Amino acid sequence: MKTPISGLYKNPVKFRMPTAENLVPIRLDIEIEGQRYKDAFTWNPSDPDSEVVVFAKRTVKDLKLPPAFVTQIAQSIQSQLVEFRSYEGQDMYAGEKIVPIKLDLRVNHTLVKDQFLWDLNNFESDPEEFAKIFCKDMDIEDPEVGPAIAFAIREQLYEIAIQSVVSARESRMSKKGRRGAEYTPISKGGAVAVDLVKLFGPKSSVVRKRKEWDVYEPIVDLLSNEEVDALEAKEERNFR
Amino acid sequence: MDNSDSELELYTIPSTSRWFVWDEIHETERIAFKEFFDGNSISRTPKIYKEYRDFIINKYREEPSRRLTFTEVRKSLVGDVTFLHKAFLFLEKWGLINYGTPSSLDAEKEEEEEEQCKVRLEEGAPNGIRVAATPNSLKPMSVPHNTKSGGNVGGASLKLPPLASYSDVYGDLIRQKELNCGLCGDKCGSEHYQTQDNFIICTNCFKSGNYGEKWTAEDFVLSESSENSVKHDAVWTEGETLLLLESVLKHGDDWELVAQSVQTKNKLDCISKLIELPFGELMLGPAHRIISSNSANGIPNTNKQVQSSSSDNQETSKTKDQASELTNESQQNGDAMNETPSKRQCVATLSDSSSSLMNQVGLISTVVDPHITAAAADAAVSALCDENLCPREIFDVEDDYASHMNSLNSCYSARALEGEGLEVERSSVSDIDDRCPKVGIPLTLRVRAATATALGAAAARAKLLADQEDREIEHLVATIIEAQIEKLQHKVKHFDDLELLMEKEHDEIENLKDSILTERLDVLRRTFRSGITRWKDYSYVKS
Repeated sequence: MKTPISGLYKNPVKFRMPTAENLVPIRLDIEIEGQRYKDAFTWNPSDPDSEVVVFAKRTVKDLKLPPAFVTQIAQSIQSQLVEFRSYEGQDMYAGEKIVPIKLDLRVNHTLVKDQFLWDLNNFESDPEEFAKIFCKDMDIEDPEVGPAIAFAIREQLYEIAIQSVVSARESRMSKKGRRGAEYTPISKGGAVAVDLVKLFGPKSSVVRKRKEWDVYEPIVDLLSNEEVDALEAKEERNFR
Repeated sequence: MDNSDSELELYTIPSTSRWFVWDEIHETERIAFKEFFDGNSISRTPKIYKEYRDFIINKYREEPSRRLTFTEVRKSLVGDVTFLHKAFLFLEKWGLINYGTPSSLDAEKEEEEEEQCKVRLEEGAPNGIRVAATPNSLKPMSVPHNTKSGGNVGGASLKLPPLASYSDVYGDLIRQKELNCGLCGDKCGSEHYQTQDNFIICTNCFKSGNYGEKWTAEDFVLSESSENSVKHDAVWTEGETLLLLESVLKHGDDWELVAQSVQTKNKLDCISKLIELPFGELMLGPAHRIISSNSANGIPNTNKQVQSSSSDNQETSKTKDQASELTNESQQNGDAMNETPSKRQCVATLSDSSSSLMNQVGLISTVVDPHITAAAADAAVSALCDENLCPREIFDVEDDYASHMNSLNSCYSARALEGEGLEVERSSVSDIDDRCPKVGIPLTLRVRAATATALGAAAARAKLLADQEDREIEHLVATIIEAQIEKLQHKVKHFDDLELLMEKEHDEIENLKDSILTERLDVLRRTFRSGITRWKDYSYVKS
């Protein structure tokens, strides 16, 4: 799993989740005959696919959903896994890549807003552990918040990883077309990556200015029932 | 970042983190964060690490009593949160931050650690729990039990050390205390009635005529309960004590055998009695048994007795006849002293110790020459005479004692030389014991004289050994010097050979030189003869 660090910055990395555990975020949002099932979880792509159906059946049974959901759930998971696997084996990016991750989510009554930087080359990273510490430090009691944060991080990392594969492919193509004519900066691999030289160069300090602290400070809000109801109604309207 | 003011303040960090210095990055940190020190990365450099580290520590020290959280730190730092967390954990682990600020996390960790500790403890062999009957244990296991159980296990070749259980150790006590009435079930008081088949009823039942179905009043015998009987048995007669001491000397701490030879007392009584005796501890320690009983009990008592007897005797005149009276008197004194119980025991050990002392003296004396022993004995006697007057008279009167000692010593050392060994020595020592009372010198003096003799003999022996050692050392040094000289000689010879070779070579080179010179002359001559022009010749020579 772990690549020697010294080699990381030179050689392109094959596509995978840029975290310690190669877990794919799976999001389900299925509506059958007025019943809507929304869920989010992670899936290990190296598990046998037969597990998907087992999982779907189990979920339907546990949540007492109509049996029609089984195939829908299984199909949805399967298609997302297929998409993930279609990128496997391709070069993701080369060189250092640090991306900002932004959190803005609501879990039941808890509202979380946060942003921080994530090193895509650090394969020791563990979103679940990060979320756990976040909840502990912020005194979040709702047990559903932690997994939701971890999932949000994974989803963003997954998105960035896909982008990287695409842009790496494009830059390779352009290099083939005009051999060495144009230098493509490494950081251009993903549109969102931060400017490393600007942030970590010899002239700058890694300690943020005091006025920036508030910007990067995580915000946790506990909403009242009315607020939650209002928000849910709004979301419902947006969905329609 | 301003570190200067923080130096003035005092912060507690664990002693394991002494390596930490503001201005440097320690090897520990380098190892923990390898990726920062291989120079491959823009976002991971030593400078950035140091900034992270210093900021986190400073942030904590703004308010050291409060626990710093990771989430609090990361909003102020630019960088990969995973790494920031790693650094945060590192600093926390080394106690550079959050040291001594308990939190729920810490408590959890502590609990975990405690659990781990517990597990570790259980892994270790709990030696303290194992109770095995070692040879030195105060309460040896009853052997028949072991052999029976061993046989029942059935030919297991491995014999495990027997484990002493509660019932093994305290079984006797329990049995004695648990005497219940066979009819009413109550505990019997101080007395109970017993039949021949060990059926027991309490006094109440007996008096009320309740004998049970099978028995009549005649069947029951009044017997006192265990507590009373123990008290009764605890009274020791002198004969029993003597028997106990003898059997302890004979059997050591094998209490079964001791109890058997004492007969009238059981195992527990023997042990408790021996412990009560003032010298019991000394007797128990097998290594000290001879020496310490001599030194601790024998010598001081001899001093006391000698002094008392001498003070008694000061007034009396110094004639021969009265001297014999003196010995009688001192014996009477000894008898008088025997009447006080504590002294009596001491005297008992004294006679015991003196005989073993004689053994020792005999042994020590045999290791040196007879005449050395004689000289030592002489010196010892004269020293004793110098100490006070009484012994001088005794020795003057019975002045053949010293010579007697000498003759004895010489005789048994001679026998020892003949190789008859210890038994002969013992017999000769018993000779001393037998003969010395005839001589009529008090036991105490004999003991002192013998002790001094032994010391003298030992000193002489030591001197001899030292001399021998000296000779040995001299011999060895001589050997070393010889070897060194031989080495040097070999070297010189080698150098001579080399010189010879060099000379030969030199000669050869000289010869070669000569021949080359002549050859050259020859060549030159020939060239002149063939008539080559001068400039050519010149260039040739030059080249």
